[in-house]
Amino acid sequence: MKQHQDITRDRELLLGLAKGEDKSLEIIYSENFPVVLRMILQHNGSEDDAKDIFQEAIIVLYEKVQNNDFTLSSRLKTFLYSVCRHLWLKKVQRTYGLYSLSPELEEVIPATEELEAHQARDQEFRIMEGAMSNIGQPCQAILEDYYLHKRSMQEIAEKFGYTNAENAKNQKYKCLMRLKKLFFDQYNTSL
Amino acid sequence: MKEEMSLLRDIERYLEGEMSEQEKTAFEELRRTNPLINKQVEEHQLFLLHLGNYGQRQQLQAKLNRIHQQLDMPALRQQAQESNQAAKRLSIRRRTITNLAAAACIALVTSLSTIAVIQNVTRNKSTAQYEDVRRVLNNIQRSQNALINDINSKSKAPLNPGTYGGTGFAVSGNGYIVTNYHVVAGADSVYVQNTKGEAFKAVSIFEDISSDLAILKIADSTFKSQPLPYALKPQSVKIGEEVFTMGFPRDEIVYGKGYISAKTGFNGDTTAYQVSIPVNPGNSGAPLLDSKGDVVGIVTGKQTTSDGIAFAVKSAHLKHLLDEMPKDKQPRKEWNHKSHLDGMNRVDQIKKLEDFVYMVKVYN
Repeated sequence: MKQHQDITRDRELLLGLAKGEDKSLEIIYSENFPVVLRMILQHNGSEDDAKDIFQEAIIVLYEKVQNNDFTLSSRLKTFLYSVCRHLWLKKVQRTYGLYSLSPELEEVIPATEELEAHQARDQEFRIMEGAMSNIGQPCQAILEDYYLHKRSMQEIAEKFGYTNAENAKNQKYKCLMRLKKLFFDQYNTSL
Repeated sequence: MKEEMSLLRDIERYLEGEMSEQEKTAFEELRRTNPLINKQVEEHQLFLLHLGNYGQRQQLQAKLNRIHQQLDMPALRQQAQESNQAAKRLSIRRRTITNLAAAACIALVTSLSTIAVIQNVTRNKSTAQYEDVRRVLNNIQRSQNALINDINSKSKAPLNPGTYGGTGFAVSGNGYIVTNYHVVAGADSVYVQNTKGEAFKAVSIFEDISSDLAILKIADSTFKSQPLPYALKPQSVKIGEEVFTMGFPRDEIVYGKGYISAKTGFNGDTTAYQVSIPVNPGNSGAPLLDSKGDVVGIVTGKQTTSDGIAFAVKSAHLKHLLDEMPKDKQPRKEWNHKSHLDGMNRVDQIKKLEDFVYMVKVYN
């Protein structure tokens, strides 16, 4: 009965996460991070490792609820824990080779499929990140302001000191073309 | 360059819905007719999607970092370390307990088995010195033997060498053979084989457990009777009298020579002699003869603790047994004549004798 209640609460939290409520995110974060921290420390990881791994797991979760294809079948805690274990396992394998794996970690086989989609998206993110950091300023700032923060061209023109919105727009198109080129160069070769 | 930019501007305006109705239809027409432009539009849509994802994720990561900074890390760290240490202590304790339990089990088993072994040894000291000398047959010489059987007779005896083996000797010319009871005990079927390699089926018709003797009768039509060359000497013989025996400790008849060394058998058994003669497994049931060729006993066993000490049932008991047998089963009495072997040298005696000594094979 208790577990059933828990899973209902978890589902509500996920609903909040899907809507983008910061409160849900905060609750999920603060409730589950200590367990993961403990697990990573137990397996010779650092606090930063724990933070990276846990945040990646949260991103996996976020992507899933955003896509609306996620139904929670276990407790949220269990899900996050197993995803973290899996991510940590992969990281250890990548860094040290197979030999330093502790037998306890090896027995874990969770969430393999869950992570495959995430890996593809992660790669796309990395490509976009690389392209963004390569186009330089003020292009990066202009594009982020326009496309991500949804500022109007008028605001942007004032912020970056263009004489009118039309000039700023031309600059934006130049930047956009460069970014697209950088992005698709990488994107098409890596996929 | 200029064209590309204006195309990009058009695509953006088209996607953001800033075009007038007229422009929009014109652009859609262009998309339909020019696949290159259509591809550009789709590419731009994909790009915007990725850009949006990128933005979302950056935002999320920023949020996560903010939340992370609000966490009380020192407290969490301490908590995690404490619980990890507790878990480690628990696992160490559990491991220690498991090891201790295993050690205790081993100790218990060891001491119990030691006690059992010691008890067994003390019990064996008094009883286990006596050993039957029947033989557990193995496959050595089996194939050769089988060949001899094939050539010399059309016997239907199985080629299998049997489970146990002993020796027996004829007590009448018409197929009665005496051997040890322990040789034929529990037998399914019994075969006897003479030195020529002829095998005959035999049945045990009379058994006496107390003197460890059994009488077999050859139940095979191919058997031909012949008169016995030796006699039975029921009187007890003196200590020091020279005796000899012939038996089948292997698939070949073996001659052994010795002397009577005591008038009682194992543990003061008055029905037997102690004989100093080499015997081996397979000698059970072999005849013990004196120098005149009279049967004075039947070899039954030996003492395991020392070599050269064998035991033989006195011939008086064999006579007693033969007299006791039911009338219809009794063999012809052929014992009373004098031994034909008297005065012969040993080689000739053995030559006459060996036809009447049989290897007993027991199947069960």
